[in-house]
Amino acid sequence: MYDMLAALINGALGWGWPEWALNLLSYILIVTIVLVVAPLQMLFFTYYERRVIARMQDRVGPNRVGPEGIWQPIADGVKMFTKEDIVPQAADRIVHFLAPCVVVAPTVLMFAVVPWGPGMVPVDLPTGLLFFFAISSISAVGLMMAGWASNNKFSLLGAMRAVAQMVSYEIPAVLSLIAIVMIVGSLSINEIIAYQTGLIISNRDLPGIPDLGLGWFVFTPVGFVAFIAFFIAALAEGERTPFDIPEADSEIVAGYMTEYSGMKFGLFYLAQYVLNFLLCAITAIIFFGGWQGPGVGWLYAQGITPDNPNGNGLFNVLAGVLGVFYFLLKTYIFFFVMVWLRGAFPRLRIDQLMDFGWKFLIPLTLANLFSAALWVAFTRWGPAEGMLITVGWSPVLRWLAAFVVTLAINLGVYLWLTRVYAASQAERRRAELEELSAAA
Amino acid sequence: MLQTQELQVNIGPQHPSTHGVFRMLVTVDGETVVDLKPVFGYLHRNHEQIAEANSYLQNMPYTDRLDYFNSMANNHAYAMAVERLAGIEVPERAEYIRVLMVELTRILNHASAVGFMINDMGAWQTPLAFGMREREKILDLFEMASGARLMCNYFRFGGVVRDLPPEFIPNLRELLRALPAYIDELERLLRDNEILLQRAIGIGILPPEVALSYGVSGPVLRGSGIPYDVRKAEPYSVYDRFDFDVPVGKVGDVYDRFLVRIEEMRQSKRIIEQVLEQLPDAKGGHINPKARQNVRPPVGDAYARIESPKGELGFYLVSDGSTRPYRYKVRAPSFINLTPLADMCRGYKVADIVVILGSIDIVMGEVDR
Repeated sequence: MYDMLAALINGALGWGWPEWALNLLSYILIVTIVLVVAPLQMLFFTYYERRVIARMQDRVGPNRVGPEGIWQPIADGVKMFTKEDIVPQAADRIVHFLAPCVVVAPTVLMFAVVPWGPGMVPVDLPTGLLFFFAISSISAVGLMMAGWASNNKFSLLGAMRAVAQMVSYEIPAVLSLIAIVMIVGSLSINEIIAYQTGLIISNRDLPGIPDLGLGWFVFTPVGFVAFIAFFIAALAEGERTPFDIPEADSEIVAGYMTEYSGMKFGLFYLAQYVLNFLLCAITAIIFFGGWQGPGVGWLYAQGITPDNPNGNGLFNVLAGVLGVFYFLLKTYIFFFVMVWLRGAFPRLRIDQLMDFGWKFLIPLTLANLFSAALWVAFTRWGPAEGMLITVGWSPVLRWLAAFVVTLAINLGVYLWLTRVYAASQAERRRAELEELSAAA
Repeated sequence: MLQTQELQVNIGPQHPSTHGVFRMLVTVDGETVVDLKPVFGYLHRNHEQIAEANSYLQNMPYTDRLDYFNSMANNHAYAMAVERLAGIEVPERAEYIRVLMVELTRILNHASAVGFMINDMGAWQTPLAFGMREREKILDLFEMASGARLMCNYFRFGGVVRDLPPEFIPNLRELLRALPAYIDELERLLRDNEILLQRAIGIGILPPEVALSYGVSGPVLRGSGIPYDVRKAEPYSVYDRFDFDVPVGKVGDVYDRFLVRIEEMRQSKRIIEQVLEQLPDAKGGHINPKARQNVRPPVGDAYARIESPKGELGFYLVSDGSTRPYRYKVRAPSFINLTPLADMCRGYKVADIVVILGSIDIVMGEVDR
């Protein structure tokens, strides 16, 4: 953020601000992004979701407040604020009050490491991805607090489900990201984005390819499997259909949120949609290149960067605008997929969810990790690391070999796992039936 | 050792998916259902007692309110009971119109029942919107004929209120043309969806002998594999003139009940087509004989039963020779189909309860009378 401001104010406009003023301005901007843009995204998301689902169901959706109902989320927010805040008599008042805060705070913090465009990351942590996932698991504590403190059986059931689901699905999510981290060799989110330049695959492995900003990981077998596994796990972590089990309204009313009203409920709602936005954003960043896209790299190269200190600062801003556009476009497309799934599917049962996570997704992501290791070995290792076969191969040939080998492994494992998984499900169903008939 | 405790959860009476004010006292061990006790009566409104204070005709609109999805079927059963009691003949054309209406009711009931069931599985309203789509067209037809969409109050002793309006038949034919594609679509919604199959197959099994011992009827009984249908077992009205099949399930789980409902919609469509063929030749007679409405049946009793979309619907009437029934009793299929709920749910997960309840297809207005 600082670099971009310096390029704009001192470079393009030539105002010659001192360093402290630039620092101050960049911090104000960062805080604005984290605390204002995040809730605004949530407001837009609720509106967007309601309109899309309405279209799926032959309805119009909210269209009364403002043009095409665009102010509906604001009206909802006003309603939330003016509702009475009810705390059940038997609830643990302090924990009941703290729970929404514990759920919201980490989701807002996660915005700190999300890059919006080239050079537009609030805090460029070298371990950004680790930070992201470490912080995101804190909200499970908040959910359990909410369920426990409400002293309601539905809340307790919902909280148990939420925690079980979040803890189990974090494993495949992280395992699928580790595959990418292995290829990039860095936990920094900026590094991961920077890696996805070029065309189809990074020009770090294959030099000489024009930079169209399309070297997304999803185009490789490793990245594709990781993307599918990660997105499924993200649905479970964000409590989206078909994994919205913790708040299954047809079974346990509203899960851990049952006893919350007014703005406390609003905070849970906020946390959920902000988390959904972040999960879509991180999917777009890790597997679809984040702000990468045709033109951004070229624009950015014309601007003021460490490699090119004499560039034009205006290009930094142009690259930023285009980058933010690409980034938000990708994120909204993923959110559309989430809404689409919500409009189409019923939800799984908690035991089926656990089965799927532990017996299918985790083995798949583990195999994918192996593929990622082979990818690194084929594309980068030489005789010193023991890859004697690849001696004398051209980079293109090495890249092709890596592609074919990982594709074969991932496809084989996927087919094998589907068969094993179907067999185990059938076996389980049979055993359950026997148990039932024995009990009867 | 860890101390574990079974949890008692009250699902209902105010709950999103109990289809009204119905309460289930569920004992759960973690997520597994150990025991379930259905508690009803929250919607009790003294239906039978009030009916005994009304004249026979005054009760006709009142039967609409029993199973408000199938007011035509309720009308039919009640009209048949009074006609038996008072010995009233029904002209042929009126019988055909009655069958037509009840079969349309069956289609709309099954479509929305399937939609509601998938909704209970957690789909966010979209299948319900699918289920309600054709229902609207059928309700339009009802409005044409009777003037009302839900509370039709269309049947009269010895006939129906008025003959079909001229625009009814063309509209019905148009509906019939669109119907097969719609039913196929609804079926694909379940058959092609892996999640739905996982949630439906092997869930809520009701063995045939248990179903029989509880006196279950309708699609729930046929889902358990017993081909019992009042339309075949004791043909009333003009049902003996139609050619249709009684679909049955194999296992008796949620999935079988779903398939039976889908197939019954197809069979209802077959019956309606045959009605349309035979209707022009049917002898007219006086469709709404006003003189017979103020009935004063002789002393005696009568029972009439029909295959309502939810099961066997019966009305038992005792007359003391006055203009009011001395005793009025409803055999409500929803109520009797609900009784084996505990047997169907035991051993399954909490999430299955609402699906099983949805697959029984109850309307609380009929359960608590």
